[in-house]
Amino acid sequence: MQHTVTWFDRLRIERVVWTLDQRLYDLPRRTRIETRREVRQNLLAGARDVGTTQALRNLGGSAELANEYLSAAFGSRPRHSWMAAGLFFVTVPLLATSFFAGAANGFANGIIAARPAATGTYTWGGISHLQSTVTYTFINGHGTWNGGGFTPLFYILWIVATILVGRLWRALPAWRRRRAGVA
Amino acid sequence: MSSEHDSQLLKGVLSLLLLHLISERESYGYELVQRLHQVGLTEILEGTVYPALARLEREGRVSARLVASNAGPARKYYRPTVAGRDALTAGTADWMSLAAVVGAQLARRLPAEPQEGA
Repeated sequence: MQHTVTWFDRLRIERVVWTLDQRLYDLPRRTRIETRREVRQNLLAGARDVGTTQALRNLGGSAELANEYLSAAFGSRPRHSWMAAGLFFVTVPLLATSFFAGAANGFANGIIAARPAATGTYTWGGISHLQSTVTYTFINGHGTWNGGGFTPLFYILWIVATILVGRLWRALPAWRRRRAGVA
Repeated sequence: MSSEHDSQLLKGVLSLLLLHLISERESYGYELVQRLHQVGLTEILEGTVYPALARLEREGRVSARLVASNAGPARKYYRPTVAGRDALTAGTADWMSLAAVVGAQLARRLPAEPQEGA
């Protein structure tokens, strides 16, 4: 008996397809799109055959399915994660900026607490090795500041840590394989 | 026939089964699952078959083409490549050889109690 696939069923299928897609960010874009299309098409065929609920059940959890697809693409060895690397790369400067600004403000607050009508230029070396020198200029307790940015060492550590978090060196064999395939 | 099979054992021969099925007839993912169920392998689910097809494609053992369907989006049909046919021949020979050895051992009549060791 053929089952009717309603719009609600299609939405349920789309939800699973896109949940799976979110877990496949480490695959090349073209492979991800092809996988999405194929899973959607197979789910629709299954939904017509056994009903949407059963078709989704037969597919299994999206986490396990994504893991199987990633193993199919990269082998079962430990693999890299562009997702983890990207998340780390974006999050770290946000947190660091907030932390560094907090530290610089703490320095300014200390000056104001000691001398509420402070006038002059005050310099703080910043967080050791990671933050450049912060210079406050106060006029009657009102200050402006400049400096306090990331040092070159911070940038180096940021990039190295991103590579470590994403274990990106593991992407090299797959990249070489793809390159050899294209050549 | 619909008996329970060892899932690990099935996973080990799934690629071979898929290569054999698509060597018989070009098929798309869901159709292959149905064909596996028809031969009695009802434990094999979609979530295992689709990544196995992706693996075979990455290894160059199958090729795929999109075929328009009346019932929804285009379907991805798989067929074996030359490398896939070679792998099927080699894999079948391995399996037959293993099955013969294991079968012969398992077919031996067992005593009521295990014999004592020396």
